[in-house]
Amino acid sequence: MFITKKHLSRRTVLKGAGVAVALPLLDAMIPAATALGATAAARRPRLGFVYFPHGAIMEQWTPAAEGKGFPLSPILTPLKDFHQQLTIISGLGNPVADGPVHSLAPATWLSCTRPQKGQEPNMAPTCDQIAARAIGQDTPMPSLEIATESGGGGGSCDRDFGCNYTGTISYRTASTPLPMEYNPRKLFQRLFGRGDTPAERTELNRQYGSVLDMVAEDAASLNARLGQRDRALVSDYMETVRELERRMQKTASQDLSGLKLPEVPVGIPENTDEYLNLMFDMAALAWQANLTRITNFMIAAEVSGRTYNNVQVPDAFHAVSHHGNDPEKKAKLVRIQTYHTQVFAKWLKRLAATPDGEGSLLDNAIILYGSNMSNSDAHNHFPLPTALVGGGCGKLKGNQHLRYPDHTPLANALVALLDRAGVPTEKLGDSNGVISEI
Amino acid sequence: MVLCSTARAAHDDVASGTDFLTKFCGDCHNSTDWAGGVAFDTMPQENIAGDAAVWEEAVKKLRGRLMPPPGETQPSQQAIDAQVSWLETRLDAASGSRHRPGNVVLHRLNRTEYQNEIRRLLDLDIDAAALLPKDTKADGFDNVALALRVSPAFLDAYIVAAQEVSAKALGGNATRATSTVYRASPSVARYQHLEGLPLGTRGGLLVDHLFPADGEYNFNIAQSGSRGGGYISGLDSRQRLVMTLDGRRVFEQRLGGEDDLKALDQRQASADKEVQDRFRNIHLTVPAGLHRIGIAFIARSHAEGNEILEPLDAPGTGSGMPNVTAVEVLGPTKVTGMGDTPSRRRVFICKPATTTDETPCARRIVGEFARRAFRRPVSEAELQAPMKFFESGRQQGGFDFGIQQAVMAILASPKFLYRAVGLPQDAAPGSVHRLDELELASRLSFFLWSEGPDEELLNAAAAGQLNQPGQIERQMKRMLADPRAQSLATNFAGQWLTVDEIDAIQPDPTLFPEFDGALRRAFHEEMNRFVGSVFGEDRSVLSLLTADWTFVNERLALHYGIPNVRGDRFRRVQLPDSRRYGILGKGAFLMGMSYANRTSPVRRGSWILEQIVGTPPHAPPPGVEALQENTEGNVPRTVRARLEAHRRAKSCNACHGVIDPLGFALENFDAIGAWRAKDRETATLIDAGDTVHGVKVSGPDELRALLLRRPDQFAQTLTTRLMTFALGRGLEAEDMPTVRAIVRAAAADDYRFSSIVRGIVNSDAFTSTMVPMPKPAATTAQANAAQAH
Repeated sequence: MFITKKHLSRRTVLKGAGVAVALPLLDAMIPAATALGATAAARRPRLGFVYFPHGAIMEQWTPAAEGKGFPLSPILTPLKDFHQQLTIISGLGNPVADGPVHSLAPATWLSCTRPQKGQEPNMAPTCDQIAARAIGQDTPMPSLEIATESGGGGGSCDRDFGCNYTGTISYRTASTPLPMEYNPRKLFQRLFGRGDTPAERTELNRQYGSVLDMVAEDAASLNARLGQRDRALVSDYMETVRELERRMQKTASQDLSGLKLPEVPVGIPENTDEYLNLMFDMAALAWQANLTRITNFMIAAEVSGRTYNNVQVPDAFHAVSHHGNDPEKKAKLVRIQTYHTQVFAKWLKRLAATPDGEGSLLDNAIILYGSNMSNSDAHNHFPLPTALVGGGCGKLKGNQHLRYPDHTPLANALVALLDRAGVPTEKLGDSNGVISEI
Repeated sequence: MVLCSTARAAHDDVASGTDFLTKFCGDCHNSTDWAGGVAFDTMPQENIAGDAAVWEEAVKKLRGRLMPPPGETQPSQQAIDAQVSWLETRLDAASGSRHRPGNVVLHRLNRTEYQNEIRRLLDLDIDAAALLPKDTKADGFDNVALALRVSPAFLDAYIVAAQEVSAKALGGNATRATSTVYRASPSVARYQHLEGLPLGTRGGLLVDHLFPADGEYNFNIAQSGSRGGGYISGLDSRQRLVMTLDGRRVFEQRLGGEDDLKALDQRQASADKEVQDRFRNIHLTVPAGLHRIGIAFIARSHAEGNEILEPLDAPGTGSGMPNVTAVEVLGPTKVTGMGDTPSRRRVFICKPATTTDETPCARRIVGEFARRAFRRPVSEAELQAPMKFFESGRQQGGFDFGIQQAVMAILASPKFLYRAVGLPQDAAPGSVHRLDELELASRLSFFLWSEGPDEELLNAAAAGQLNQPGQIERQMKRMLADPRAQSLATNFAGQWLTVDEIDAIQPDPTLFPEFDGALRRAFHEEMNRFVGSVFGEDRSVLSLLTADWTFVNERLALHYGIPNVRGDRFRRVQLPDSRRYGILGKGAFLMGMSYANRTSPVRRGSWILEQIVGTPPHAPPPGVEALQENTEGNVPRTVRARLEAHRRAKSCNACHGVIDPLGFALENFDAIGAWRAKDRETATLIDAGDTVHGVKVSGPDELRALLLRRPDQFAQTLTTRLMTFALGRGLEAEDMPTVRAIVRAAAADDYRFSSIVRGIVNSDAFTSTMVPMPKPAATTAQANAAQAH
């Protein structure tokens, strides 16, 4: 029933002064383009994994020609400014998501591993987490997970597999899905803390630290009376406590003074466009402030019921994705998909404008943009829409459309991506080789 | 799925038992074909316990008549019933008299439980959804222990929640003045009355704000009149703005009209400031606690309005009427006291008179709070950690702040956030242990109330009374009669009956212009109250399907065609027509299992199989074609005609031959659950007739009669779901004998709700735990299947 959004400005007001603050208080989020990352000595890539659900209308996604200087397809047109750093990979498939598609597609995108049946999460670590383990340990957060909807619609869970693989694209270990934050306010506070001044932040940090100590002690005391199986869970818990401790120490030593922070966002914007851009803006800030190197982003939820009136699609996304080859519905889908690319391109533009070391954030990024479904009407997993963007610290060629034999495992591309990120990996999921041309 | 082409039409029945298996199942499920990885000829009856999982699945398939698939030789219903009893009797006998209780792992509070626990401990309503990440569902419920994992983001959110909740409840570090801005949603229609605001007002904003202390606060209201790049808008006529606090008018001011217009025209910026200043710096004295702020304009006759018609999608554009856009609450600017909020009353059970009293009083407060939060007595040693938080907080911000820090520490502790069942250190795998009384008390109250035990239950457990004969049952009865047991309707049944599905559907406004948010809310409310009436009045659970009453307000009555219901209040009514009896006639189900633009007999049929019959059909195989939507320029076809075309393929018919006819019976209910005689697109009469299980069914009444032919079936589904929720774990094949025993006992009591709850809380699965076995050896069936592949 409440029709308001709450905005906590955390602005201290002089006691008794009664000074009126002019409304509206919110400024646009325009952080300064200062290069916090510039201090980093070695060039280390940033990794982005941006997932969109429900595949793509492939004839509007796949460029008409291969090789260098390929022509952009309609859905990819918004990426024209980044043509030099864009690689389209065609011919990939990911059969492990067969069956209850919507419940498996997100989490298997980066694992390429068929989960075990059952209500307990049981798959394999995802590509981003393999990277996080290797190159994500010197930032406060090994990785950051962002979503733009609280969850999927009906049909995103499955009787055999539960809901473990539909709400996230990231698994830290075989049994630990990483939840994705969809609330911009909470995301902001997680990134930049909850204090206004350095003194306040220090105090909150101290408090947080002592809570963690206590939590660890309490968990240990629980252990004494538990059975084997529960003790394994407590040790997971302790692992998590240590992870937070490490993060807290990193955050405490982080200097955010050069970063112009926007105000704390007001809950979830009702306007989808505003919402998506806000979340992407924060993803850019997190890289700029070196809070993380690895970012996972779900641009819409699996089985999303979202409507896209801004591009004249009043229908629910999932409903229209079952297009039944109706040209009108397919046209609508193309509009949604092109719009997603536009929002994505806006983010790239911001990354390109943010200095990082000798180049820009985009020059140092490796960003995978794609879906784990192909034709949303047929629910299949070949050919997958897959794009790679960024300079990868000079390790990505860009400006090419590569075509591989049909059903080449998506995992082969992920192995190649990890290699460029400086995380040599022999095998990932069902990979049977590596794509060397990127 | 393997399909065998040996269809025979004859209904020649045989004796139940192995003959039945050979005759009706053996053509496909044999050691040559291995359909579905099952071959009954390799599963000796002597090892029925070892193969229980497969046999239980077979029972389900037979009960739901999913097997033999349509098109294959069908046994008569009597033969099926006899075969089901034959199998169930043997399965029950094989499991022995004492059932294996299973094991529930360390159980984290989920979001709903957390919210309820905060209310129990602190008398404070919070919105847990805004504080904590969403929980993962498993086996249809969000309280399944195995799925409630912890990750850094989770733990972080729980610690931050502890900080925020304790500050909210107890007032934070004394009373630093803060600013909070609430913005009105732009989608509020400025011409319409907003529910909750005084009648006779239009537009506006309504928020609950927590005032941390007694004292003075400053309010600044922003409205859309007069501002905007020097242009004057919204001031053509005189308007009055009112502000209320808990419904009481505390401020009123004029805006617009001739003098304002003139001043703005002549002096512009300085006049604008004057106008705005009328709505700033509103000083009010407010007592601590949660208060509701309402701000709106007094409605005027539309005849004198000068608004132009606005497009639905873009409210606020090009209008002549101002609206409230935001309010800022600043303060407290002067503190007169810490206030007497319910939370503070709950926590501060003593007040130190002198500084030397502080530590002993804090020890009492912290000890009492920890006991309630940990849901058991606490030792002195356990209080050391929270007392340290008290000490450091006291040094920083005085006694009250010290207490708040201790409360924060307790709320962040895993002892509060987890429920654990202890085991002796030398417990052997497979050994069974009864829960101690405190563990049992928590299990009982989280089951019946979705929150921790109250004082009476906790005291009974701590005094060792709970394991005395009849005591659990006594507590259960008391707790079912308590209003908190309504959580069984809202939380348990809401999830079981998938009521939230209606929130995922946005009906196509061109097809269903009459649909609005009020109807959606009414569907929720009706289901909560209806299920609540069956559970709360301890009726037979069969009345969930057959009840001739429901709860409606005017909006819903209009939708259902029930006359003489006026106003927004929900009331119990007798249904004039049997078509809406029970849950199958409720909008929450009918709309939830539809799509935005059409009905879905497939979703409705599958739902009935899963939630009512208890035999969920398989998910469609990959690569199936979706239903063809009607397109412009082509002759439209009914949903039914399109589905029937799809069903012609034998591989589809194997499941859809069972699913679709159940859904067809409800085709007279459209995609938002309204009754219809004709299909909108084709203008033809709805055909709801089909053959289900060899019986002609042509509408909701006959469908209900069919589903109730075996009342134990529905009772068993409900028991299975309720027990999953009660235990917080998925049920295994070895739990099924327990379920059947509960259902049989409840049958003698006309399947009263409490008789099922009683069966659950008295079961070994509920009262005991088993040390998990190391991974079991493969069953005969699995071994055989593995060999065959």
